[in-house]
Amino acid sequence: MAKTEQEKRDLKAEKEYNKKHRSQYVSKPSDIVFSVLNYLVFGVFTLACIFPFYYLFINTISDNNLVLRGQINFFPKGLHLGNYLALLNVNDLSSAFIVSVSRTLIGTALMVGASALVAYLVTKQEMWGRKFWYRFLIITMYFNAGIIPIFLNMQMLGLTNSFWVYIIPGIVAPYNIILVKTYIESIPAELEESAAMDGASHMTIFVKIIWPLSKPILATIAIFGAVGHWNSFTDSLIYMTSKPELYTLQHRLYIYLNQASNLKSLMQSGGSVSEAAVQSAMSGKIIKYTISMVTVIPILLVYPFMQKYFEKGIMLGAVKG
Amino acid sequence: MAKTKRELISDKIYYVIRIGILLSVVFLFIPGVNPARVCGLVNKNISLFTAGISYSTLTSEFGRALRKGWVDVASTYLLYGSSLAVCIGIAANAACGCMSLGNVKLKKLGNLIGVIGSIAGLGGMVGIYLAYGQIAQTVKPNKVEPMFPSSFWLIVVLFAVILAVTIAQCVMLHPVESEKKFGMETKYRLFLMLLPFLALVAVFSYLPLWGWRYAFFDYKVGDTLSMDNFVGLKWFKELIKNPATVRDIVNVLKNTLGMSGIGIATSWLPMVFAIFLCEMKNSKFRRFVQTFTTVPNFISWVLVYAIATCIFSTDGFLSSLLVNLGIWSEGQNMLMSGSHTWLKMWLWGTWKGIGWSAIIYIAAISGIDQQLYEAATMDGAGRFQKMWHITVPSLIPTFFVLLLMSIGNILSNGMDQYLVFKNSTNASSIMVLDLYVYELGIGKGIIPLTTVVSMLKSIVSVVLLFAANGISKVLRGESII
Repeated sequence: MAKTEQEKRDLKAEKEYNKKHRSQYVSKPSDIVFSVLNYLVFGVFTLACIFPFYYLFINTISDNNLVLRGQINFFPKGLHLGNYLALLNVNDLSSAFIVSVSRTLIGTALMVGASALVAYLVTKQEMWGRKFWYRFLIITMYFNAGIIPIFLNMQMLGLTNSFWVYIIPGIVAPYNIILVKTYIESIPAELEESAAMDGASHMTIFVKIIWPLSKPILATIAIFGAVGHWNSFTDSLIYMTSKPELYTLQHRLYIYLNQASNLKSLMQSGGSVSEAAVQSAMSGKIIKYTISMVTVIPILLVYPFMQKYFEKGIMLGAVKG
Repeated sequence: MAKTKRELISDKIYYVIRIGILLSVVFLFIPGVNPARVCGLVNKNISLFTAGISYSTLTSEFGRALRKGWVDVASTYLLYGSSLAVCIGIAANAACGCMSLGNVKLKKLGNLIGVIGSIAGLGGMVGIYLAYGQIAQTVKPNKVEPMFPSSFWLIVVLFAVILAVTIAQCVMLHPVESEKKFGMETKYRLFLMLLPFLALVAVFSYLPLWGWRYAFFDYKVGDTLSMDNFVGLKWFKELIKNPATVRDIVNVLKNTLGMSGIGIATSWLPMVFAIFLCEMKNSKFRRFVQTFTTVPNFISWVLVYAIATCIFSTDGFLSSLLVNLGIWSEGQNMLMSGSHTWLKMWLWGTWKGIGWSAIIYIAAISGIDQQLYEAATMDGAGRFQKMWHITVPSLIPTFFVLLLMSIGNILSNGMDQYLVFKNSTNASSIMVLDLYVYELGIGKGIIPLTTVVSMLKSIVSVVLLFAANGISKVLRGESII
């Protein structure tokens, strides 16, 4: 589309203005020094944040002999995926993976559903004892009985050495309830009132109006919940006193990292993968790297897409409940 | 509509059975009061609920006894069926309790369910009694260990009371016209929807406080608490009198306060990070930096440790690079060193957290009125003057809130980081309070002493939090919690 004469003139004037303005601003040498230093420092720090992941990754896909001789520092050489296949033969890894995935899915789903419902219910002024019960929930954020009394409590409830210890205590999350409640309060009350006028029950209003409208905040708490579940490690460490098959992936990784560097004992003989692949990946160092990579990949994959939700989450957290 | 005298009495009686029902529901989940534990073969960690829903869990330790004929299969089935009946009874009673909040018609139905539930429950208790009788006649009492469940009569009495009251209610309540609908006032309906979640909070946040009683007993793992091993404040005194414990505690507190102190002293760093980040004109690069510096915040401490090993261990990146360049003759494990532990832990914490902590400041900076900067430019203010006189003052309130929060959390540095980075060389300088409690309590099974420490820590933390809140109220007129 051709631009009119007027538009062209405006554009030119704007460019000129910017140029002049900018030249005024940047011209000072101290500013240039500042900018260069600023970019440099941030660049180096960002590199320090990315490079370890990159280094880990190239070492898992490069030729294992080169890796063992410490030859892979900046670029991958002799690409292959044998190490990842060899992981199928590492004892207990697949069960740990299944435990972590299922706790992430089930735990997050229940937490999000519960947070939404509880948050909706506590916005209802007519509830019996609403203020008291809301405080009863929220105040638990500020104290806890301590790790040993909590452990004894779980033991008394028969939850130690049970998968459900990962899920049930996390269903009611006071902080998330505050976030969702704040959000629900910002939804125009007229929507609810008109639905109530048409005879919709509380449950209908929750399912048909509140739930769909709060999806942005629910996505935010879901992401935080999922990352928390995936990363959690101490609950597995504390509560699984005699059920190693219920260890989470992070806990397994911790155990592998602390074992002697020869992980031969971890590998099953036979299995679906060729002996050669197993042999080549026999080095403990490479196995450790590969398991670390498998543990971190879900986070790295999810992160770029979810970044805006993460940021929304911390911003909402700044608003007091 | 005024209530008749009869209705008022009926309302009062309901309070009694609601409490009774609440108790029986609680008992359903507590293994300590499991009436189905009629012999030592029933695991002491299973509750009545588990016994009633899972036959395989209930009889998981019966295998040998069943094969050898010490216990008749019929007895285990009887035990299981009776437990199930008791569970159903309690569930029915719970429904009755909830329905008692409704209108008269709902109450009547609820009472009927309550009567049936109590009868089912009592029937189940009779079944458990019979099963106990059968199991007690075993030929191998030393292997099967028959025992009469201590909570048996308690549960029976509960059921009996509920049965009596529900029958009385059936008689007392007025009959209702048949066309009237079931209903409940909205306020109670909403409350009943919230009730399950309140129960979860009660069980997982408030019930552990009951565990503080261990601080006053001489308890070892596997014991039971009784007045015989009540020791009063012995463990509190131990904490300040026993020289070995005192030495440990002093060291642990030194580490905890030291590392928290470094964190608090440098808590302005994320603010500076944000200010300087926003000084960059290239928005794409700024976005890039912001994205990648927040990634480490989302990986677990175990993974941070994995990364630490892959960079700093003997065959890690740094060693192999320096060896290849000929600077070092052989690789070194830089993680195995006891020096500068606090500083290293602070560096890892900063690497992981600074980008994330800065986000809140970045958002605050973008909320500052641009006219302030323009006006300052007009008045000839330079870059640093604008930062110092406009940006920093607008960020101070946020900074202040976060600072007070971190003071409230001064004793809780968490244990993940210190646990994963701990090794033989840095063990004494890395031991923080949370890790100490974990290692002593879970690792070595010293329950009472660690309960004392947990308890004191919780109390001090709450006091600190409220103190910080008080300071905030006085200085800024705003509370932070």
